[in-house]
Amino acid sequence: MFRRKLRTLLTVTGITVGIFAFTVMGSMALRFNKMIAGGKSYITGQITIMPKGSSYMGGSGSFLPLDTLDKIAKVEGVEAVAGGVSLLVDEPDPDNPIGSGFGQPATIEGMDLNSAYKNRNWQTIAMKSGRMLEKGDASDNIVVGYTIASDKKIKVGDKMKIRGRDFNVIGIADQTLTGPDMYVFMPLESARELLIESTPFLKSLKQSSEEAAKISDAALAKLPKAMRDQLIQAKAFKVEDLNQMAAASWKDGYDSEQVATRIKDRFKDQVLVLSPQKLGEQIDKASAIFNAIILGSAVIALVVGGFSIINTMLMSISERTKEIGIKKAIGASNRSVAWDYTLEAGFIGIVGGIIGAAVGGLAIVIINSKTRASGAEIFLIKSWFFGVVIAFSFVLGILAGLIPALRASKMKVVDAIREL
Amino acid sequence: MSKILIQAKNLQKKYKMSKTNIITALNGVDIEVQEGDFSAIVGPSGCGKSTLLHILGLLDKVDEGEYFLDGIDTKKIKDKTAHEIRAKKIGFIFQGFNLIPTLTSLENVMQAGKYGGMSLKQRKDRAIELLEMMGLKERMNHQPNELSGGQQQRVAIARALVNHPAIILADEPTGELDSKTSMEIIDLLKKLNTQENQTFLMVTHNLEVAQACKKIISLKDGKNG
Repeated sequence: MFRRKLRTLLTVTGITVGIFAFTVMGSMALRFNKMIAGGKSYITGQITIMPKGSSYMGGSGSFLPLDTLDKIAKVEGVEAVAGGVSLLVDEPDPDNPIGSGFGQPATIEGMDLNSAYKNRNWQTIAMKSGRMLEKGDASDNIVVGYTIASDKKIKVGDKMKIRGRDFNVIGIADQTLTGPDMYVFMPLESARELLIESTPFLKSLKQSSEEAAKISDAALAKLPKAMRDQLIQAKAFKVEDLNQMAAASWKDGYDSEQVATRIKDRFKDQVLVLSPQKLGEQIDKASAIFNAIILGSAVIALVVGGFSIINTMLMSISERTKEIGIKKAIGASNRSVAWDYTLEAGFIGIVGGIIGAAVGGLAIVIINSKTRASGAEIFLIKSWFFGVVIAFSFVLGILAGLIPALRASKMKVVDAIREL
Repeated sequence: MSKILIQAKNLQKKYKMSKTNIITALNGVDIEVQEGDFSAIVGPSGCGKSTLLHILGLLDKVDEGEYFLDGIDTKKIKDKTAHEIRAKKIGFIFQGFNLIPTLTSLENVMQAGKYGGMSLKQRKDRAIELLEMMGLKERMNHQPNELSGGQQQRVAIARALVNHPAIILADEPTGELDSKTSMEIIDLLKKLNTQENQTFLMVTHNLEVAQACKKIISLKDGKNG
């Protein structure tokens, strides 16, 4: 092994490349799986309700009026309903509207503090410092997610400017490694105001509503019909109706699927209802893809590394026929010859594995530190995973070494000796 | 009378090179080696000397004939246990020294002790003792390529002696040495023979070496000649 340094080095490099890919892809898959798992746990802890005309992935101009939410809250089995608004913390850059960076962007989550709604799986978010928003909190109080807080070096008691408005940070959420790390939680009313401010259509609607409110019913009656209808419509606009989505919780003893079906049946003209079970299944499909990535990269490492070890060891053994002959002549058993070469292959495997995992780890740390600024980290670093990767490389070496080692051990001493 | 270590009768060995080309290497050889012998097998090239040595050293199997090694019927030795007998009863010295190039002198000698079942301390002590006896005290931590031919062969002799073998089989032990060094090595082997009563059986071309032996076994065309 040490006599053919270049060849051994090249083999080790082969393993290194395979294990590097395994480490990087694996850590990425771990990250996404973790995110997906967090999302799944949240989304399956509630019945998600959206206005008709929107889709789960993107909003639309549709909203859920308060009146509808109140009616949904009265459906049998529904415990409480909370409306919600979410929008990006930063307004999109006009020069780069698509945005850059990976993962989830920083998002404002407007929370309905007055609702009795509670997610079944996410009762609370653990706090790193300060406290979570509560009923009766001032409208300019916010709680900042872990990643945002650490990137922007925000502490409890600091002021944070969001879309031109100052907010008081009353809490920093602990790391969840999933969605909430990139959230800013604020009272629903404030989130609605920010949404109106940033949406020209809503802004003008609100203005006309305020104008219309100043006109008394008597004055309104005197106006021409067309203008009157317009003003009545404008008057009907209520900020409380701005709910992009809503979440319903179900009462103890009720089946979430049945409750979801009941809501769907009664309000199918107005809302889309996503049952926890169906969403869970969808999410599982996504997570299967990431598991396939881990498995795929392991297979690549296996093929690339395994074959190069087999090749190197076979060459090395044919070069060392004489040495094997000597060992056997002076009393080595077949088993001890096989063991020697298997261990040698295992050693090549583990050296490649350690280098690959180290280089992969370094790449992950560097990329994570770069992407943290523009969104979320895309790799999850887990020490157990590195342990698995290195153990895998050793086992790979041993397995790849078995064929050449058995060949060496089966070599007839006299044939090997003839080469002397 | 001394103990008989090797007793073989009518040894026959054929090699099938192809369907039509069968080489008869041994064609009924008889050989007897007693404890304390210092014997040489001589004969022209291709007379079967090396084949005989391989068979006696359990590196190869005989087609016909019987062979008792230190009272053991070698036919009854299974492939799986042959290595133990090789390690404990037989020492090998080869023409080309055949040390393992990546190991030091000490490690080369110790390796044979490992196959003979010695503990790490036992084999280290034994290897140091033997290398000192061979006059290689200063060369213990050198690798073979840092040693002269004579020194390498002395390491090989130490390696052959580690497990106190009943017999040492040597295949042209002086084949790659100049005549002065050759005689030094033969003198060393003789000294081991007389002082330690170590039994030797060697194959040689070298007449001078053969003449130094107590007993000469001559082969010709695969038979005792």
